[in-house]
Amino acid sequence: MIENDVQERDTQKGKYVTFKSGNEYFGIKIQYVNEIIVYQEVTAIPESEDYIKGLINLRGKIIPVIDVRLRFKQPPIEYNDRTCIIVITVKSTVVGLIVEKIAEVVEIKDEDILPSPTIRHGEKVQQKYVYGIGKIGDAVKLLLDPDKLLNDEDLSLLEQASGDVSEEGE
Amino acid sequence: MAEEFNAEGMLDMYLFENTQLLERLQEIVLEQKDEECFDDDGINEIFRTMHTIKGSSGVMMFDEITKVSHKLEDVFYYLRESHPQDVPHLELVEHVLEVADFINGEMEKLQNGDSADGDATEIIASVDKFLNSIKGDKKEKEKVIKENVHEEPKQFYIAPVATSASHFYRIYLTYDPGIQLANVHAYKIVYSLKEIAEDLLYYPEDIISDESSADEIAENGFKILLQTQSSEEDLRGLIQEGYELKKVDIYECTAEEYQQGFDAVGSEIRIDLDSSVEEIEAKAQGTEGAITEQPEESKEPEKPKIPEKIAPGDFVIESKEPGKAKKLAKDKPKKGEKAAFISVDVSKMDMLMDLIGELVIAESVVLQNSDLRVPGLKLDNFNKAAGQMTKISTDLQNVIMSMRMVPLTNTFQKMNRIVFDVSRKLGKDVEFEMVGENTEVDKNIIEHISDPLMHLVRNSVDHGIESIEERQAAGKTEKGKVTLSAKTESGKVWISVQDNGAGLDREKIIAKARKQGLLDPYKLDSAYTDKEVYQFITLPGFSTNEQVTEYSGRGVGMDVVVSNLQSIGGSLEIESTPGEGSVMNMKIPLTLAIIDGIVMVVNKTSFVIETGVVKEFVGVREDMLQQDPDGQEFVMIRGEAFPVLRLGDFYHLPNYEPDLKRGMLVIIEVDKENICLLVDRLVGKQEIVVKPIPDYIKKVEGLSGCTQMGDGSIALILDPAGLLEAYSK
Repeated sequence: MIENDVQERDTQKGKYVTFKSGNEYFGIKIQYVNEIIVYQEVTAIPESEDYIKGLINLRGKIIPVIDVRLRFKQPPIEYNDRTCIIVITVKSTVVGLIVEKIAEVVEIKDEDILPSPTIRHGEKVQQKYVYGIGKIGDAVKLLLDPDKLLNDEDLSLLEQASGDVSEEGE
Repeated sequence: MAEEFNAEGMLDMYLFENTQLLERLQEIVLEQKDEECFDDDGINEIFRTMHTIKGSSGVMMFDEITKVSHKLEDVFYYLRESHPQDVPHLELVEHVLEVADFINGEMEKLQNGDSADGDATEIIASVDKFLNSIKGDKKEKEKVIKENVHEEPKQFYIAPVATSASHFYRIYLTYDPGIQLANVHAYKIVYSLKEIAEDLLYYPEDIISDESSADEIAENGFKILLQTQSSEEDLRGLIQEGYELKKVDIYECTAEEYQQGFDAVGSEIRIDLDSSVEEIEAKAQGTEGAITEQPEESKEPEKPKIPEKIAPGDFVIESKEPGKAKKLAKDKPKKGEKAAFISVDVSKMDMLMDLIGELVIAESVVLQNSDLRVPGLKLDNFNKAAGQMTKISTDLQNVIMSMRMVPLTNTFQKMNRIVFDVSRKLGKDVEFEMVGENTEVDKNIIEHISDPLMHLVRNSVDHGIESIEERQAAGKTEKGKVTLSAKTESGKVWISVQDNGAGLDREKIIAKARKQGLLDPYKLDSAYTDKEVYQFITLPGFSTNEQVTEYSGRGVGMDVVVSNLQSIGGSLEIESTPGEGSVMNMKIPLTLAIIDGIVMVVNKTSFVIETGVVKEFVGVREDMLQQDPDGQEFVMIRGEAFPVLRLGDFYHLPNYEPDLKRGMLVIIEVDKENICLLVDRLVGKQEIVVKPIPDYIKKVEGLSGCTQMGDGSIALILDPAGLLEAYSK
């Protein structure tokens, strides 16, 4: 029982679900991810932030979904049949993330993860959510901190910075 | 790992059991608080409760709880054994409640994962003092009593849980004193009963190998406790009076009594016998003799000496027992019901509820499946089967709903306690009456109303009921009265707290409201209706009580009451008659889980509103809508103007174009205020399962939840009161 747990933790260690949003690839630790579903119709909730797209019915559980592109202040794009929803659990909150395209599950070793650079023009916003940069060969994945992704206490700061970032995003 | 888990389970069990015991304890105490003293049943029950708590706390090594319950157990042991006169009853009640509070407090700590670190020394000391004071000069008894306390555990016998159809019997067999081999006769009967018995217990226990039991049976009779499905008649058929079997007494008893085992049969009767011996002896030899006599007797149950003394011994048992049995049967039906309950984790209930909700939805997906709409399809058999399934799922839904309903009894009992505490502390004499406490309400609702109710009851005792002097001066009875009543009416529960105190002081409230700038300075005092005036006391920071007491006067309370009620869709109405008292009426929805709602569509979004608030639907024509100069839209219907709220615009739905040709006006009424919602289209009336909007999404004004529709899509549930409030801003 205990061994299994350890094993499971071991097999999950260092694994990331990566997805594409804009031109970047992002990664989320696999422990946070419950499942990945294809995009389904979202019921909008009036008067909420634009990146909160609304609610979906996941087999009887009603969960909120947010659009990652909008969360990063990137311009919205049409949803198509590649659009997916990554259902994650962060501190017992279940939220769906709408992403353009799921890439793959990759393993990134700890030594290949660099702390996210502190001063880089135009990435102020992403820094809030990106805690590290993972290298796989030549490719780079921005590793997301899902807690910060959901948590919007810095909203006012974000809005200040949003102008130039949206240009950068595309 | 495994051990740790077990300890957790034990603690849960411990907390659960003891919470129930304490609840029952408080119930008994408060039921009898106005009597002269506790009756025998009460004393026994409190004694047993304390004993059980002591035992389990000892096992769990909560020393302070063990000590304090042991001390109280001592007190009740003394009461039970010695029947002292002139016990200051109220003081005793307070001690019991104090101990119960202490244990409750400790258990709360444990529940929160803290350690039970409270210090009971003071309570123990005060209880000890009390015990000594009631013992007075009979000090020599003390030693004996303490010894006895530790002999008690063998009385506890736990029978298998009964099915509801089971009957419980106590059977007493009286044999001819000259009988030979009485144990064999007894065994024959036991043997024949075994076939029908679900559970069987008899005394003397060892009738096969122990030959001395024969004498015992011949002398004292043979006692059987039986749990069975059979009726008394069947039993009589099996046990027939005969040459040697002189008398068969069969008494039906409750499961609770049955579980007490021979405690009820053996020791209680023994005590009765003891006391009668004591009484008789006391008469004959004076008190001194009785005291020296008693210890021996209570140490050795069924001492043959007793029946000899009051010969013929059987006579005493027979004369006592029928009376006893009747009394128990009359007093304890409640407990019998209680035994049939099992407690279930609320989260499991919620899960079941969710699943049934799912089932209902899945069912409609199947039954209205578009595949079935192929022309020329023969669906007779399908429809028959579908009808059957619909019936079952409706039944299932009703059952789960009724499972969630719990009576208000416990909540009301707690209020009894509050009235008692507050009135004692304030030196008022207040009677508490409960009406309709069996009214059933959804479990979730009960959790939300106990705080508001507590505030209202406290207020009634503190503000409502005048002091004894004031009451006398006003020519009222000294004793004030607080009535707590509940009833169901038109899908709502009404709970009211009524007092016969002074009533609300309109002038004082108006003066205070003026001072706080709540009134329109150009409006006369008399222009405000009573209802409007009384509503001021529900505002934050509003208290007319000059003195801040421990319980009220700080102006917090009523606003909390109102906001708590609003959060579950309830409301508060205040009525008051000067000099005669006031009534606080709470109107609360029966359930939060399933509501009857009207589904409507605006743009692409579905909304649901509870049917109860909808007054009427009106098809809209453009020329009906008019605007006043402020841009405020309204509609004239039968000469009455209703403000119009375009739901699509209100919520800024994207690309919203009201379809005025086909649109619908839904007139809703909340607290006598009307508002007209303009929606695109009505879908229909439907039972919906209410689900909360996930916490992650910030609260949206006018929305109270969401639900899943038959096709799996999600609809938003409108909160009429919130909508009205948001609209008037």
